[in-house]
Amino acid sequence: MSSRAPLLWSVAGLLAAVALPWYALQEGLDSGAWLTGLWSSEDYASGLAQIIQHGRWWLAPVLAALAACLAICLVPTSRERCGAWLMIASAAGLALFVAQGLAIGLRGWSADWLVAAFGELAGRQIGTGAGAALVMIALLALLSIGLALRGAFGGDAFVAGAITTVAASILLFTAWPILRILVQAFQDGDGVFRPALLLERLAAEKIWSVRCLVGGGRCGVAWNTLILAVCCAAGTTALGLAFALIATRTGFHFKRTLRVLTVLPIVTPPFVIGLALILVFGRAGLVNQFLDWSMGVASTRWIYGFQGVLLAQLFAFTPVAFLVLIGVVEGVSPTLEEASQTLRADRWATFTTVSLPLMRPGLANAFLVGFIESIADFGNPIVLGGDYGVLSTEIYFAVVGAQLDYGRAAALGLLLLAFALGAFFVQRRVVGQGSYATISGKGDSGLPTPLPDAARRAALWVAVPWAVFTFLLYGFAFVGGLVKVWGRDYTPTLDHYTKAFAIERTADGLIWSGAAWNSFWTTVKLAAIAAPLTAALGLIAAWILVRQRFVGRATLEFATMLSFAVPGTVIGVAYVFAFNVPPIEITGTAMIIVLCFVFRNMPVGVRAGMAAMSQIDRSLDEASATLRGRAPQTLVYVVLPLLRPAIVGALVYGFVRAVTTVSAVVFLVTAEYELATTYIILRVINGDYGIAIAYSCALIVLMLAVILLIQFVVGERRLGRRIAPPLGGRA
Amino acid sequence: MSVEFQNVVKRYGTAAAVAGISFTVESGTLVTLLGPSGCGKTTTLRMIAGLELASEGRILIAGRDVTSLGATQRDVSMVFQSYALFPHMSVLENVCYGLRRSGLARDEATKGAREGLATVGLAGYDERQPSELSGGQQQRVAVARALVLKPSVMLFDEPLSNLDARLRRQMREEIRELQQRLGLTVVYVTHDQQEAMAVSDRIIVMNAGRIEQQGSPRDLYERPATPFLARFMGESNPARGSVRRLDREQIVVRLSDSEVVVADSAAVDGEATVAVRPEAITVEVAPGPAGALPGTIAKASYLGTHMEYSIDTAAGALFATCPRVERPLKAGDEVALVLASRGVIVVQDQAT
Repeated sequence: MSSRAPLLWSVAGLLAAVALPWYALQEGLDSGAWLTGLWSSEDYASGLAQIIQHGRWWLAPVLAALAACLAICLVPTSRERCGAWLMIASAAGLALFVAQGLAIGLRGWSADWLVAAFGELAGRQIGTGAGAALVMIALLALLSIGLALRGAFGGDAFVAGAITTVAASILLFTAWPILRILVQAFQDGDGVFRPALLLERLAAEKIWSVRCLVGGGRCGVAWNTLILAVCCAAGTTALGLAFALIATRTGFHFKRTLRVLTVLPIVTPPFVIGLALILVFGRAGLVNQFLDWSMGVASTRWIYGFQGVLLAQLFAFTPVAFLVLIGVVEGVSPTLEEASQTLRADRWATFTTVSLPLMRPGLANAFLVGFIESIADFGNPIVLGGDYGVLSTEIYFAVVGAQLDYGRAAALGLLLLAFALGAFFVQRRVVGQGSYATISGKGDSGLPTPLPDAARRAALWVAVPWAVFTFLLYGFAFVGGLVKVWGRDYTPTLDHYTKAFAIERTADGLIWSGAAWNSFWTTVKLAAIAAPLTAALGLIAAWILVRQRFVGRATLEFATMLSFAVPGTVIGVAYVFAFNVPPIEITGTAMIIVLCFVFRNMPVGVRAGMAAMSQIDRSLDEASATLRGRAPQTLVYVVLPLLRPAIVGALVYGFVRAVTTVSAVVFLVTAEYELATTYIILRVINGDYGIAIAYSCALIVLMLAVILLIQFVVGERRLGRRIAPPLGGRA
Repeated sequence: MSVEFQNVVKRYGTAAAVAGISFTVESGTLVTLLGPSGCGKTTTLRMIAGLELASEGRILIAGRDVTSLGATQRDVSMVFQSYALFPHMSVLENVCYGLRRSGLARDEATKGAREGLATVGLAGYDERQPSELSGGQQQRVAVARALVLKPSVMLFDEPLSNLDARLRRQMREEIRELQQRLGLTVVYVTHDQQEAMAVSDRIIVMNAGRIEQQGSPRDLYERPATPFLARFMGESNPARGSVRRLDREQIVVRLSDSEVVVADSAAVDGEATVAVRPEAITVEVAPGPAGALPGTIAKASYLGTHMEYSIDTAAGALFATCPRVERPLKAGDEVALVLASRGVIVVQDQAT
């Protein structure tokens, strides 16, 4: 084995252990102040110095393992044996690394039984720094190489590296935070572990009360959340189906306009619809004013509460259901419907006995998406909920509000997670193992059967007014930012925009004096960092899931699917818990926000990448491999050029979702790193609608511009037509 | 020795797709892996390519142990069933691909690729997109792409299955001609027994993950070792009969009342399974010559070049082909069957 890779990684790791500060620095690496204190200063010392000079003996075994890897590379031996030894040494190193990181924290040993076992510890340690992180990465790389040398993952070190990277990062930034939230839910304020506490917290009256049914009063937030989610899921699925049927199975003239609907929710911050509803139905809204003016009815707070949130969610998430269902409806094979008609079934019977049952998995999927979107929604409930509390807002108040009860937040987060996962499993049950896929590689020469008249009329009657109203709402939202005070003074003005986005020209140059600039640039910067990372990680994950076979593939796929189902609020809270103490201490930094963006949005990139990749015949990869193309070359020269649409999608999605997300990051922002959405939410909570609306509109315009830019840069796939015929049965 | 398999096993989970096979492929020969779908032949080919790694056993290519090496590191190239031409590259770029990845400079790679395209008769097609070519031309590009790397062994995975019948015959002759002209070592997978016989120096017949028999096309057709092979290599009628040895070289096979002398040095006296080739049965109008097998025609079909008959006899239902189409027999006719010695094969030892 002539490869120099293991040698290089061992050396790089050892260099990092000698020449970089082991622990995190308050001021960051770029100050350079650490260069002089690498040996002497306790804060700046490298790993080696920490061991020798500062008595942190527990780091020694980790570095010893790394040194052992180097030794293994230098001893000539057979490929398999070298791989086996590398694997053992690096795995031991990793295990020791994790063990010391978890066992020794800010106050020495992190658990009482460790103190009992080893006695008091003089040292303590803060968060992982550059040196430690590089050592860990080197150990991971060596582990991958060791596995590959032994013939795992097709004997390819790049594939092995990609798989371990994806698995480790999902473990670290999705599984670990969720595990932490689980632990937190059992702990009291002093960090003492009390199993009964979770029950106590979950059994609270405020969560499960049913007083809205019997006797006066309000129901618990759990019921509120569930009822809202079921209504929202049912409503969006029905509306989405109506739209999908119209778009694919009727001669409706405005199909392209309908398609525009599907873009809107992607570029819209989730609370914009809520804002627009306030403009129409709020106290100073159009409807109340009209009633007041025409009949003298006093304005009501009708929109604040269940009905308002539901309405906002229906408007906001119907396009998502439409997006899911349009593919499903198109996927129903016309030939099957034609077969049904030749078997004496009329259009209606065909629709109800063939088409609808074939759409069942898609309907279940749309329902699941609606359900999860609803329970994860934070923006609309906080804007419109009034005293109708749901879990996501309740968690927010537990963390941010006066209660400051992390344990309760964790318990509520767990409950929310349980709802999401419950829906996820119910959906898988409903869809079952049976395959409903009716798109085969073969061409389908049938023509889609037109919808029966009754169904067509019903769909049109529901969908058209709904679509018109959706566009109207967006229109109001746009106009709302251009008048002085909605409801009182409709004088056209650009005041809100200047307040938010003023740029003054002074002697010192331009001054970005608008109130929104700070959060705006932070958002753009962090989203721009996160988007390529999201796309890269998502597509690599998709590539290994679709194209590589390895032990644990199903588990990995399941893990990415699961993280899709985890509501943003839960992720946000979990990040706060997991990353505000060593070994990874990044709360309050920009890094935690970027990480949250990446791992929150990656699952969608994975799904999109997997869908796109399964359309590309696997034999293309194999052809490249037999033509001496190593895995990274295959990826660059063959897979990525064919995946351009998916890359565009993942980049756009990664960016846009990072800009529009609220629920997850609301816990992670600080004064220094304030984001656009959280800024807007605060304006709304303060009743400052004008600037909130102006800002939202600016965001929407920004995102449309970004989408066009990415589309332009990455471009279309150069491909006459797809030639790969379906791969026949394999002997 | 270009390829050597030593007790190679491939398992998916607990199921063994290939259950311990050993064989060798000599340099400069074309060896076919033949078998019904699901027999493990494609898995075997992919293990040679390095697209699948063996669960057990050793694989040697050109004398080097490549068992744990991936496809990229092996000196092989492959022509895929779907051709797997990169749809975003021109014909020339496709053929250049392997040369470029092997580290050749652009000029040399282009020169090599042009030569390769000329070898398969596609000079001047450089700038075409794969989607603009016919199926046969795409096939040739795929061959050229594999050829230019001058690999120790070239692999063909059912290369003709996407072509129509006429083109299939032409392409298989071209592949054979190319292989012999350039002295290539080729491993070829197909499920089509005729195709295998037409192109191969040697055939390895696989069934249920094992090697059933290997040998020259003639060996396999004339001396199938098992009933499976007799059925799979060409058509044959299974029948029960009895064997009596005449001398070292010859036996008498008895089917019902009719006897035929067959060259066979292995069979032992007693009951045996006998395979009768349809072309070995001569159908005469009853009563026919002495020792003929009497029967009744159950079904008769006219196929242009010959007749096909299904005939009920005391030795079971037999299927026969008959080149005499000018005087066809019809269902219900009484006939006498004369068996030619060359098409009667004892395939199984006596059930004693």
